[in-house]
Amino acid sequence: MAGKDKDHTKDSKVAAGSNIPHESIRAYGESVGIANLPDEATSFLSEQVTYCLKIVLQNAVKHAHHAKRTKVSTADFDMALQAKNVEPLYGMQSKDHIPFRFASGGGRELHFTEEKEMDLSEVINSSLPKIPPEISLKAHWLSCQGTQPAIPENPPAASKESQKKEILDTNVKTMIDRGHKTQKPGSDSISRLKRKRPNSDMVKLKDLTTHELSVEQQYFYKEITEACVGPDETKRSEALNSLATDPGLHQMLPRFIMFVAEGVKINVVQNNLALLIYLMRMVKSLLDNQTLYLEKYLHGLIPAVVTCVVSRQLCLRPESDNHWALRDFAARLIATICKHFHSNHNNIQSRVTMMYVNALTQERRALAAQYGALSGLGELGSEVIKTCILPHLRLVGDRMRAATEGPIINTVDKIACEHIKKQLTKYLPSVLKASGVAETVEAYTETYGYLGPVLFNCIQKERQVSVLSTAAPSRPTLQIHPGGRPQQILLQQPGGTSTPLTPSSTFFPSSGGQTPRTPSTPSGASGQQKFVIVTSQPRSLPGPVSELSSIAGSGSSSSAPTIVKLVSSASAPGMGTTSTIQSNSGQKIVVIQGSSIKQEPSLLQPSTPTMGGSIVTTSSLPQAVLSTSHELGMKSMFPSQPGSISLVKKEERP
Amino acid sequence: MADVNKMESHTSSPAKLLSYADKDQTLMTVLQYLRENNLEETAAVLRKEAKLSDSNLPAPTTQSQSSSAVSHALAAYKSSDDPSIYDDVYSDLKAFIDSCLDVHKVELSTILYPVFIHMYLELIYNNHGQHAFQFFQRFSRDQEKYHEPDLARLAAVQRREHMENDQMMETFKSSRFVIRMSRDSYTHLKRHLQERHMTLLINMIQEHLFIDVFDGVPRNQDQIQATSGALLGDAEKEANKAKVFYGLLKEPDLNVPLEDEDEGEGDGDGTGKPKKKKAKKDPLLMKKSKNDPNAPQPTRIPLPELKDQDKIEKISAFREALKRDKLNAEHLPSICFYTFLNTSQGVTCVDFADDSSMLAVGLQNSNIRVWSLVPKKLRSMKSAMELEIIDKEADDVLERMMDDRSATEFKILTGHCGPVYAVSFSPDRSNLISASQDGTVRLWNLVTWTNIVCYKGHIYPVWDVKFSPHGHYFASGGQDRTGRLWSVDHYQPVRFFVGHLSDVDCVQFHPNSNYVATGSSDRTIRLWDVLSGNCVRIMTGHKGAIHCMSFSSDGKYLASGGVDHLVIVWDISNGTAVAHLTAHTGIVYTLCFSRDGTLLATGGMDNSVRLWDLARVMEEQDPEADSNMPSSLNVNSNPALLLGTYYTKSTPVLGLHFTRRNLLMGCGPLAMQS
Repeated sequence: MAGKDKDHTKDSKVAAGSNIPHESIRAYGESVGIANLPDEATSFLSEQVTYCLKIVLQNAVKHAHHAKRTKVSTADFDMALQAKNVEPLYGMQSKDHIPFRFASGGGRELHFTEEKEMDLSEVINSSLPKIPPEISLKAHWLSCQGTQPAIPENPPAASKESQKKEILDTNVKTMIDRGHKTQKPGSDSISRLKRKRPNSDMVKLKDLTTHELSVEQQYFYKEITEACVGPDETKRSEALNSLATDPGLHQMLPRFIMFVAEGVKINVVQNNLALLIYLMRMVKSLLDNQTLYLEKYLHGLIPAVVTCVVSRQLCLRPESDNHWALRDFAARLIATICKHFHSNHNNIQSRVTMMYVNALTQERRALAAQYGALSGLGELGSEVIKTCILPHLRLVGDRMRAATEGPIINTVDKIACEHIKKQLTKYLPSVLKASGVAETVEAYTETYGYLGPVLFNCIQKERQVSVLSTAAPSRPTLQIHPGGRPQQILLQQPGGTSTPLTPSSTFFPSSGGQTPRTPSTPSGASGQQKFVIVTSQPRSLPGPVSELSSIAGSGSSSSAPTIVKLVSSASAPGMGTTSTIQSNSGQKIVVIQGSSIKQEPSLLQPSTPTMGGSIVTTSSLPQAVLSTSHELGMKSMFPSQPGSISLVKKEERP
Repeated sequence: MADVNKMESHTSSPAKLLSYADKDQTLMTVLQYLRENNLEETAAVLRKEAKLSDSNLPAPTTQSQSSSAVSHALAAYKSSDDPSIYDDVYSDLKAFIDSCLDVHKVELSTILYPVFIHMYLELIYNNHGQHAFQFFQRFSRDQEKYHEPDLARLAAVQRREHMENDQMMETFKSSRFVIRMSRDSYTHLKRHLQERHMTLLINMIQEHLFIDVFDGVPRNQDQIQATSGALLGDAEKEANKAKVFYGLLKEPDLNVPLEDEDEGEGDGDGTGKPKKKKAKKDPLLMKKSKNDPNAPQPTRIPLPELKDQDKIEKISAFREALKRDKLNAEHLPSICFYTFLNTSQGVTCVDFADDSSMLAVGLQNSNIRVWSLVPKKLRSMKSAMELEIIDKEADDVLERMMDDRSATEFKILTGHCGPVYAVSFSPDRSNLISASQDGTVRLWNLVTWTNIVCYKGHIYPVWDVKFSPHGHYFASGGQDRTGRLWSVDHYQPVRFFVGHLSDVDCVQFHPNSNYVATGSSDRTIRLWDVLSGNCVRIMTGHKGAIHCMSFSSDGKYLASGGVDHLVIVWDISNGTAVAHLTAHTGIVYTLCFSRDGTLLATGGMDNSVRLWDLARVMEEQDPEADSNMPSSLNVNSNPALLLGTYYTKSTPVLGLHFTRRNLLMGCGPLAMQS
């Protein structure tokens, strides 16, 4: 019976004049033991039943409206029946949609709801369902004198779509800002008039966009960047989680991108592997954030990430440090970026590929760089592997032979060769199988030179495994686990904890902001790095850092400490810095300067002793809101049980 | 009917004349038919009865001519038997309207919808289901978009039997669809109908339509749109003629505040400030004591006398009001938003206490919860045993009665046996009234936190209930299509407000308690006089059920919102719409005027709170507009009236409330995303 009703909810929506099909009526009749209903009876019944259902449904909709719901529930239907003095349908309590199954056979078509038989004893013996949490009340500021504060409780000021539009039209951006900043129609119209007059007969100019940060945002930025590169692993995971999930970061995005770009530039020179890893993890978090649209900032992002893939040297001890993981990780990031942002206009993927191929084919390149190029290409998919790696395998093989069998054997190169082999066996087999080269050692050696036997072996191994069984565990390397990688990197870093990252709570309301933090005495390396980040143009660097060409041989690592000292003394607040980032493909030169840098000195040198005081005063926004609400004579109720907080968080996430 | 006859008589309706002439003609034709078929005897009897002489009879002309005349007449008779004629007549009417001058076209096209409905119903009534279906298919698309729900309902009616128990069909059958039209357009239509001898249409218009003719220029598209949409068309002109005392009641003299104010404030604030305060305050009090010609007599309806407690309350309200923010387009209020979490039980309604200290919530699971929004927790009274012990002579006896141990942040009231659809605090915050699906209205005491009265009167679910701003009375409205006025000490209603053609979805008291506004699913708002129980205003213009209403603090304006996503601001003095506020994209469930009446806040299912510039609406209102001349009325729908939009993450806004200091509070349940 209930199923019948549901069916015709659908019908009435489809067409106003439609009726229950006669076959259905007949089927219902049969189900209650009345066979062979005459046609007249079925047509009468169908009209009558449809009419009754529509009337009851119309009343059910009223109940749904008054209960402030958009969906009509079975309870509403029951209440509508009750109003018609009809016994409600017992046992039809479902909060969810009850799906309709379709079956046909014997020339008949049927729609029905599935009703499973349940074992009563099973129901009785099963553990009781959890009691739903108590209703609670939570207060926040939706607006402060016409401005919507950027707090986690409010939706982000700019949706991803509007950020996307902004790229094409900066007016959107001003609209967004106006939307959530002060609204003064009077002053606004005046400024618009002023702007209009000179522009009216000129070419349409793009408005300059400014990225002003509120004090809270500045604190937030400071905390996040500090945590991301600081020594505290739990804090870092919180910060990264915040970057990956928090809405409304778009205002701070240019700064984060610059932080990463500059950080990579300096730390590549310093060969500071740990910091580079941290920065790449920041990039990953930003990429993961569903509310951010990064296209506008790719010019800063891609060179930084690519540097981490193909740089000649990324760590102080290339023979022992695992910079390979970083290269892999960064290569994966590039692949993600290509996947998300590649378009016919920007041609990202082809440009990146060209650059990789370049690195792969140049004689002078370090093997480590070639390793990076290989994994970068490998991540881009089989088509790229086929067209860009296979033709160059012979060349790579020659170099490897020279490194391993040549007169001067270098341990670094030897390790690199091992990794390249491993990498090739990871990416190549599937492509090789389809390449059409005869599967003999000779043919392989002929086609691929030095690497031939290795590749052949791995193909053979692969075949055997797949013949024996299609067991997955034998070739775990073939499957790319994006989630697993960061952990692997974690293992590499000095002093890092090996526990998997489980974000315990989000950054904002956490206690991290309240407790005054003593300026941490960072362990050796990380302390230095921070100082370096402050200036984007260390003097020792001869020119604009292009990650591909100028890294080689620029500044030996031993001189780093002196640079640090120089820089920290020179970094007076308010010092304008101009940085020139030359992107890998060389077409884009971006100059960032002016107001955006203004806040940087204070934001970027968090661990200088002088800044210790300001850290203590830090209070995150929710607290500030809380105190104001008290002043207004109201009580705000942030839920007291932590359980409910996390529950809410969960719900808010899409 | 009477109205029509009156109108017809003094315009000496040619339609009537036509029908006489028509009758003669049919008689003639029938006689001719009889003669042709050699039924002389019958013809003679008929002739005798109709008092017609042979000479009157037209001479039998050529065969073909006469047969056409005969069929014509018979068609007129058995029009109900020949279903195809409806299609033709309707198309003809449409063609005529299309051929009219543009000025008249829009006005005349309003007639199409009622004609369509009644033609369809007549077809159904005469058991031409198939033809009715075709007719519906062919012409339903011509109708305005906002008629869709009604048309869907109409389409459900497919048999004569269906019409019998259906409220809406009964409404269509028994009431007349009101159309306002300028005299020019009306004469135009009349002439056409006469010329074409469209008996069917003429009968239908006389029977089911009421054409309210006004002198002046025809209305334009926008003006017609602004008032159309109700179940039975526009409001009649006469319906909004009665005088409404929309002014505020004279405030009782409270001498206390002046001294009290100085004592309280002067001590702390130094010397300069109190003087300033005084200067500011005086005009405020002066204004209150001035006699407003639009205000009703304070004794017009019996109101409860002020108790000491009420006076103290009023004084504190005064004092708070002095400190309130001045709001305008430049200075928008802050919004504090309360979100309900874990609302698996479903929040159905909310209400804020006037002093913003409490929040009541009705739930789908029949419970009511009351939260305290101030640090002071909610206490209940001590038990009878303990009350015995306390010293009844003590000054703070009221305080001593309360049990501190029982203080909690929220209290649960259990008693209803169906979803609670409305809750409302009494102005003194000692009582709460609630309405539920179970058809009862319950009064809860907020000192003992128990149910004290259960008012059983409504038969069907009760959709809304509101306390009067002066206490003692409350109004309710429900699915039984009545609004009711109750006083707390009577278990039966003291007034019935009957007239709505569909559910009464919301009720609201005028600030002076002398009037009650009801909003209904028939898409009209009616204003009722509490004294007489008469309907004094009918306001049409909404295109969907009305779910919320609010009076401005000066009592002159009413704002309403509902299913059609539209917010309309009405002028109570003449019952016309002043502004249409369009921006919402979901059902509007709550409205609130700022305390100084300059802003309107609205919220609804589109998860947004919107602020509107009402000061500007009032400024731009045309003082020359005459409600007798519908074509002179213009509705302000300037998009610039929207001052701000604030979205929540995924919380529908169910309640909005301006505190006495003009801070805006909102609340709603966090919607689960599935």
